Amino acid sequence: MSRPEARVGILGWGAYIPRQRLRASEIAGLWGFEPSITKALWIEEKAVAAADEDAVTMGWYAAKSAITRAGVDPQEIGAVFVGTESKPYAVKPSATIIADALNVSSKKLSTDMEFACRAGSEGLRIATALVASGTIKYGLAIGSDTAQANPGDVLELTASSGAAAYVVGPAEEAAARFEGMVTYITDTPDFWRRDCSHYPLHGEGFTGDPAYFHHIMTSVKMLMEELGLRPEDFDYAVFHQPNGKFPLRVGKKLGFPKEKILPGVVTPWIGNTYNASALLGLAKVLDSAKPGQRILVAPFGSGAGSDAISIIVTDKIVERQEKAPKVEELIARKKYISYAQYARSRHIIRRIF
Amino acid sequence: MSKAFISAVCMTKIGRHFKLGIKNLIHEVTACMEEKTGSRPDYLIVASALSALQTHQLDIASIATQYLGWNNIPSIRVETGETSGIAALELAQYIIRSGAASKVLVVGVEKMTEYPSNKVNADYAKILDYDTEYVRNIAPPNYAALVMREYMRKYGATRDDIAEWPVKMHANAVNNPYAQLRFPVSKEAVSNAMVISEPITLLDAFPIGDGAAAVLVTNESARSKDALEIVAIASATAPPLYLREDVTELPATKAAWMTLKRKLEAHKSGEVALQVHDSYSIYGILALEALEVSDRGKACSIVPNLEYLNVGGGLKARGHPIGATGLYQVAETYELMINEFAGKHYRGEYALIHSMSGPDYNARLALLRRW
Repeated sequence: MSRPEARVGILGWGAYIPRQRLRASEIAGLWGFEPSITKALWIEEKAVAAADEDAVTMGWYAAKSAITRAGVDPQEIGAVFVGTESKPYAVKPSATIIADALNVSSKKLSTDMEFACRAGSEGLRIATALVASGTIKYGLAIGSDTAQANPGDVLELTASSGAAAYVVGPAEEAAARFEGMVTYITDTPDFWRRDCSHYPLHGEGFTGDPAYFHHIMTSVKMLMEELGLRPEDFDYAVFHQPNGKFPLRVGKKLGFPKEKILPGVVTPWIGNTYNASALLGLAKVLDSAKPGQRILVAPFGSGAGSDAISIIVTDKIVERQEKAPKVEELIARKKYISYAQYARSRHIIRRIF
Repeated sequence: MSKAFISAVCMTKIGRHFKLGIKNLIHEVTACMEEKTGSRPDYLIVASALSALQTHQLDIASIATQYLGWNNIPSIRVETGETSGIAALELAQYIIRSGAASKVLVVGVEKMTEYPSNKVNADYAKILDYDTEYVRNIAPPNYAALVMREYMRKYGATRDDIAEWPVKMHANAVNNPYAQLRFPVSKEAVSNAMVISEPITLLDAFPIGDGAAAVLVTNESARSKDALEIVAIASATAPPLYLREDVTELPATKAAWMTLKRKLEAHKSGEVALQVHDSYSIYGILALEALEVSDRGKACSIVPNLEYLNVGGGLKARGHPIGATGLYQVAETYELMINEFAGKHYRGEYALIHSMSGPDYNARLALLRRW
């Protein structure tokens, strides 16, 4: 147990997915995409935040569930980190709003983090390090996004809204303890949004091999090497999922069979929730995982970096699974909207007052 | 006038070379050439169609000599749209024949992956008349689609007939280590692929990729023991597509062919190795007809039987790094005749290379002969 993160674990997890769903085929039809594109990407529908939902409200809901599952007193939470690339205020932390709304102690660290789709998992790593060092007792890490996409861009088929949250604390209290964590980061400009721009840009194929695949494969191999593990040792593998196809492809390249990846795939039914993407996949796996199982989770953020985390489920998980809404329930809870309603919800229709 | 020879060739694999800039790509083939020949050329010609638009670099030829440390070597950039590579070869042979130099290195290079495809496609469309066509949103695939539609109507050719082309090209590219798309495709896959411009699908169109190829052109005293003679290079231009009586004919190609034809003694299919410009499937078909390899309206059916046609997979599957493409055609032909290429060796005497820009706005034919 020489790794500091092995002293820490996940006490509780929570998710939020907005009810509104927009069918990918409607987006593809509107912009004249080849209809087969939804199959090629494996995207069926995406979750759309309503006019009264944003990264803060969704993050709050997910965090509330995580704290309920953890069964900890919010006053004992010493750090709140929110990973998002769609914070409601450009300047003014989202984390403080969520923390106060949850009655988290004011004696805390709290900040918003930005690293495209993996800021939430960097928040998880930092909170874990703070617990491991004894600086705080419990930490709260949230990934929450109402992802933007330029209307008509291929990203619009997948960019969606959702949140996931994790309470971390001492391994003895954990529903799932960390076995190891590594991160691999380079300067790889595959996807970005400039200051004051409403929508991000991306380098098409450059987002694939040199970005998503290179970083995830490197971090996962690094983790397996450090821990002396092989794909066969894991029961589940959860990857960042910009679409339904990428996690299956990167998993295959790494030697994970489809059966271990599919339980953590959520994007085809809710879209890419950016900072919540892999973390929602992990939440879904935790919702039904059994004590003793080992889970790999590998978030990815453009720019670019990937974390690889090995998690071992403990026997405390069983009683906590039923304490808050499960990801599958949130996916099933839906109502379909039109592109016009989506445009209104996501403020794509420009009004002057 | 002295004779001109192709004495050595080098190629890089075509693809998305995210770690190589335009100068690195040039260096890949010049380093290969220095290794093969053990010497530097006394003239450098760089063929690149999009270097100014995609890499913001004017005078890439001088910048290349600086990057390579080739002090004092004269250099020039050639740009004639999609035929830039063969145009550079055309210039090189004139320099050799004039006696001004004895070793001219022709480097074709294109860096295509610095920007998203919408910018690449927009810049590529500038091979058409900017004021008349480009500003009206007409791009090369739109014209190719119009031509393909007319060809199908006029000759009763079907979608599947024309799919013979990409099927053959992809089959050839499987054996070409430098090709961008090394996988076979079926006729069904071609017609079911994403539509680019009805009836052209993704599998009728060339892929976007970076590449560089180099060809050393020498006079007789500097030629290597394995050399091909450049018998002649003929070129011609043509009126815009919208002023043509018959859009299923390639007028510049035809004009160039008429001037070259008499120099080629044996030109029937099977007796000449062919490289034709197939940015879109239909153009490969039309090129065979313009070069009288096939009767008009009948080329689709002979495509599967032409053994020495686009042995590297053509623009369709080998790839089409625009300004470099003509030199890939030459380099593949050299390897095919001198050594072995894509699992084949051609024993015949002649090879004919066809290059054209857009819907045949200019065409260049190079006739090469075993020496």
